[in-house]
Amino acid sequence: MIFALLLLPGLASALLALVVRPYRAAVGGINAALSLVPVGAAVALWREVLAGRVPVAGPDDVLRADALSTLLAFCVSVVGALAAWLGPGLGDGWNGGQARRFRIFANLFTVTMLFAVTTDNVGFMWVAIEATTITSALLIPLHASKASVEASWKYILIGSVGIALAFAGTVLAYFDFSTLVGRDTAALSWVVLRDVAPALNPRVLELGFVFILIGYGTKAGVAPMHTWLPDAHSEAPAALSAMLSGVLLAVALYAIVRWQTVVRAAVGHGFAENVIGLLGVLSLAIGALSLVAQRNYKRLLAYSSIEHTGLICVGLGLGPLGVFASMLHLLNHSVAKSMMFLLAGRVLLRYRTAEIDGVTGLLRVMPWTGGLFAAGMLAVIGLPPFGMFVSEFALVRAGFAGDRSVTIALVLALLAVGFVGVLAHLNRMLYGPPPSAVSVGERGGWALVPLGACLAALVVLGLAVPPAVHDLLTRIVGIVTP
Amino acid sequence: MDTLFARLVVLESSAALILGLVLLWRRGVPAYVSAFTWQSIVLAATAATVGWFGHHGELYVVAALLVLVKGIAIPRLLGRMERRFATQRELAPYVNTATSLVVAGLLVLFGHAVMRPVVAASELPTRAAMPLAMGLVLVSLFVVVSRKKALTQVVGFLMLENGIALLALLGAYGVPLLVELGVFLDALMGFLVMQIFVYRIQETFETIDVDQLDRLRH
Repeated sequence: MIFALLLLPGLASALLALVVRPYRAAVGGINAALSLVPVGAAVALWREVLAGRVPVAGPDDVLRADALSTLLAFCVSVVGALAAWLGPGLGDGWNGGQARRFRIFANLFTVTMLFAVTTDNVGFMWVAIEATTITSALLIPLHASKASVEASWKYILIGSVGIALAFAGTVLAYFDFSTLVGRDTAALSWVVLRDVAPALNPRVLELGFVFILIGYGTKAGVAPMHTWLPDAHSEAPAALSAMLSGVLLAVALYAIVRWQTVVRAAVGHGFAENVIGLLGVLSLAIGALSLVAQRNYKRLLAYSSIEHTGLICVGLGLGPLGVFASMLHLLNHSVAKSMMFLLAGRVLLRYRTAEIDGVTGLLRVMPWTGGLFAAGMLAVIGLPPFGMFVSEFALVRAGFAGDRSVTIALVLALLAVGFVGVLAHLNRMLYGPPPSAVSVGERGGWALVPLGACLAALVVLGLAVPPAVHDLLTRIVGIVTP
Repeated sequence: MDTLFARLVVLESSAALILGLVLLWRRGVPAYVSAFTWQSIVLAATAATVGWFGHHGELYVVAALLVLVKGIAIPRLLGRMERRFATQRELAPYVNTATSLVVAGLLVLFGHAVMRPVVAASELPTRAAMPLAMGLVLVSLFVVVSRKKALTQVVGFLMLENGIALLALLGAYGVPLLVELGVFLDALMGFLVMQIFVYRIQETFETIDVDQLDRLRH
């Protein structure tokens, strides 16, 4: 029942947008209303999980939501709802054809992500994550321009190749496994996989994990497979960028975490953690150093996503405390980055340029948007009182507790570089005389309410981690590092 | 019995790998399309072989689907695209033919090295052919990164998928049928979307040379 409420509203919305031609604003309205149902379903899952139950459904219990699935389902459904409320098709500059395309594919995109994080079968998880590439690629060139066509080509090619390698990894891990368990569909169940992992051949599983990490890592924006990310995130329409950056990266990381758990059970602590940690530091370095030289504020946000993906990976290599910090950071990043991309979309609409140099006097031109943008940027670079300060602090503590002081020193240095880089850009955008062609002043508007709510959520997460979140994260740590 | 089985799969896998190499030494897209078609048919034959000797009836379904989707449907669509871009050949790839073939040889060797623990751990009669499948995966990957025409990259990607399907067949007699169906659906949809983009690249850039796609740097 909960799973039906989680998955079906998105399908229904996509179907509705498909059959109603030409597009009507009512379709968008119904879509926006329906998008709240999965959020409710995710909250219901959350309550079930905190009560110590693990909801399952379908033949062979193919749908299964433990604490880790629940966290991701919540992030995806919330960001999906944000995109449905603030995306093209509710009385804005997009034409009917574009709005219709957005409503069809954005909903399918959300559903495939929700399915990916709630299925217990690692084969279906792969199928769903591959499908996310297909459903989202068509939305990147919603405005057909040379740059957006180029970005979407890179995205679909690199994304598909990467994800194909993840399938090769899944197959490699499955070799040994199929002889132990047999060849029925349940043979790819994650629960079964984890339970028999100690009997699997460690060398084969290590090889499989390298492929899986490269494959899903490509989608997660892990360096050096991140090259598609800045292009896709900066050229996509704002609502899609919010979904790509806010949750698609998290879904790919989720797949890595699932496999990391299996590999740890088979080969013990060390191998998976070291590889993930190494790529994490590399991503962090590339993200942070690229922030300094950016001239485009959407690309700035995209590189910041790579930086945060790197941080999450570093945390995943640091044992239970690190996993806790990582998952908290993942939640923070989902909220913060989807808000930032939606705000950047509003700035772009007013200034008609994505160049940082073209945006001056943002606080005068758009007091509300500018204020939220400034606060969000401070949150993204990890200042208190926002959530990311807490999760980064937790990560640093986990590093020192695990005797990884060299890694942590490097992480802190890179964070400082990113911090200074972003702050300099932000300063240039907020103040100064507005360009003469840009009209000054902004009425509030209801669209700012959900964005303000995101900021409020970040402040709440930054002041004290709410007990419900804390309990859920503790349960996730129990799953990932038993 | 087992030795015949082992020889057959090695023969079929070798054929699949050699057909993959066609992408590196031929220049015309029609040659790529027919290489891919034959490779898919060889793959279907491998599925049927494994199904027969391994007693897995569902692999016949997989073989039939392979012929339908990758042996007939996708080659037709590729052929239609090829006729449209007939004048655009892979004239100057990033890596020239001689070097490409040397790299491919090294990649096949590397595939052998990588697969050693897997082959050692496996007891299936098909295990001897697994390094060839890994070789095909790596060579296809190299095609995708070293060729400039969007169409060549698409064929490279399709061969990569064939290589992985081959790997699954040899290592575990295929993945469960339901998952296999999902993979087929994704492969087909993915190809259709790529096709849309190739046409779109042609419309916006008036060429399918991805070398021209250089607006987004730094």
